[in-house]
Amino acid sequence: MAVNAAEAAVPDAASGNSIWSRAWQNHAPGYLFLLPWFIGFFGLTVGPIITSFYLSFTDFDLLTPAEWVGVDNYVRMFTNDRSFAASMRVTFFFVIFSVPLKLAFALGVAVLLNRGMKGLPLYRALFYLPSLLGASVAIAILWRQIFARDGLVNDVLSIFGIVGPSWISNPNYSLWTLIILSIWQFGSPMIIFLAGLRQIPQDMYEAASLDGAGKWRQFVKITLPLLTPVVFFNAIIQTIEAFKSFTPAFIISGGTGAPINSTLFYTLYLYNEAFSFFRMGYASALAWFLLLLIACFTAFSFLTSKYWVHYDD
Amino acid sequence: MSIGAHVLLIGASIIMLYPLLWLLSASLKPQEQIFTSGIWPTIDWSIDSYFRGWNGLRTSFSVFFMNSFVIAVLSVVGNLIACSMAAYAFARLRFKGRNFWFAMMLGTLMLPSQVTLIPQYVLFRDLGWINTILPLVVPKFLAVDAFFIFLMVQFFRGIPRELDEAAMMDGCSPWRIFYKIMLPLSMPVLVTVSIFTFIWTWDDFFAPLIYLNRMQDYTVMLGLRTFVDSTGESDYGGLFAMSVLSIVPIFLFFLFFQRLLIEGIATTGMKR
Repeated sequence: MAVNAAEAAVPDAASGNSIWSRAWQNHAPGYLFLLPWFIGFFGLTVGPIITSFYLSFTDFDLLTPAEWVGVDNYVRMFTNDRSFAASMRVTFFFVIFSVPLKLAFALGVAVLLNRGMKGLPLYRALFYLPSLLGASVAIAILWRQIFARDGLVNDVLSIFGIVGPSWISNPNYSLWTLIILSIWQFGSPMIIFLAGLRQIPQDMYEAASLDGAGKWRQFVKITLPLLTPVVFFNAIIQTIEAFKSFTPAFIISGGTGAPINSTLFYTLYLYNEAFSFFRMGYASALAWFLLLLIACFTAFSFLTSKYWVHYDD
Repeated sequence: MSIGAHVLLIGASIIMLYPLLWLLSASLKPQEQIFTSGIWPTIDWSIDSYFRGWNGLRTSFSVFFMNSFVIAVLSVVGNLIACSMAAYAFARLRFKGRNFWFAMMLGTLMLPSQVTLIPQYVLFRDLGWINTILPLVVPKFLAVDAFFIFLMVQFFRGIPRELDEAAMMDGCSPWRIFYKIMLPLSMPVLVTVSIFTFIWTWDDFFAPLIYLNRMQDYTVMLGLRTFVDSTGESDYGGLFAMSVLSIVPIFLFFLFFQRLLIEGIATTGMKR
């Protein structure tokens, strides 16, 4: 069917007469090229969003038809669900510590690398590799082992005569191991910072240094302000990624958020509600609350950005 | 100053890469030495762990690798076809509502996948697609990865308009312009999209976890996870060996295309 329509869209002097065939000629190709996307957009995005909103007001266990319960799911979330509260705490803690630290590392290394030194491509590649391996199960397994009681971290500490705890199974440290994993993957924001640094005109630094401004002053007065659009972009992307983080926590905690919910990420909790306990209605409400959180965060970022993000044009 | 920076960077590189080297070295140690030989690599190499790990589950890892490979390759094909078509329409064709649909497409970039997760699961279940690769592959043919559409739009916009306008004058249809002019000129972005699609599909854990429940359908990542749960606690060597193998394809892409991958990341960040 699409093929016929495509042929009809070929410019053809004879059919160019009526308004309709002209309109068809002008607009049909665009829509035909978008056809797969349209099917995906309506079938896999818009439709599911609406359904999910409806399901969030129901009890639904996959087997029996969804049963309307009004706002019960939302009420339960905030009044009577300690796991939900725990997962919110864990997720916020993770976002608040992992994102700024990761960005700080990324920026620091990018500034170091931006001096046109020899071996830049090699360093850049080496620092990027962990990011690329990112969400791999293998990396989560590696991490579990590094922070185990008999793992690498404690082997290193023992050189200094320190007997380390079992990081993963100690609720005081378990979330920090995941934060460190996230920081370790600072490579992709670093590359974006590098690209941004390269856009800053070199003569600004020369002028500043003629005026006697030191390196640190140049960084604070020139580099940072001119880089704020990139900082902003990285911060948004990394925060949303952090909110959605799943695989490392799933693998490291054995899918439960153990020990005592200290690594119960929001997405992990949502997964368990949906696919371990088949509370699909409740999980839909959780998903909608996540959407709301991310939307609020994004809107807030954009609103405040005009006070600290400087566009030079 | 420069020497100081190098020392700092070399130190940082070692810290960054040491966990990966440790994994490799642990996979090459005889089983009894993995936790006794401390932080230094041993010379007493053995590849036993690889043989043990490969067949350490009811189903061999050759099946998992095959499954992952099929899913990843089909995903690449799907993304290439569907995303490039959509991107061409957004970048080059004029039609009513284009800006509106483009904004909608960008809007889906921000949408957390958890929101569509459950209805999609119900939909695919009703279609009888659970325990098949269809839920993992078909969406790619429907251009669900808005990020790649966006990447391609940016690239297509950089191709001189004179080229397709001249072809249009000569009576070329949009289809012909698309695959005779745009696609051949877009190899860099097509390769970037292919590599990222392959790597991300290969790495994906969540979708296979939900849709594939029989061991003969498992991907490598599900196989690894099963290894942790069933034999992992006793056979660390095998687990590490399979972990190493699971990242080999990604590592190979990295080795051959790192320049391209890095540019791909850098350009996406630079949109203003």
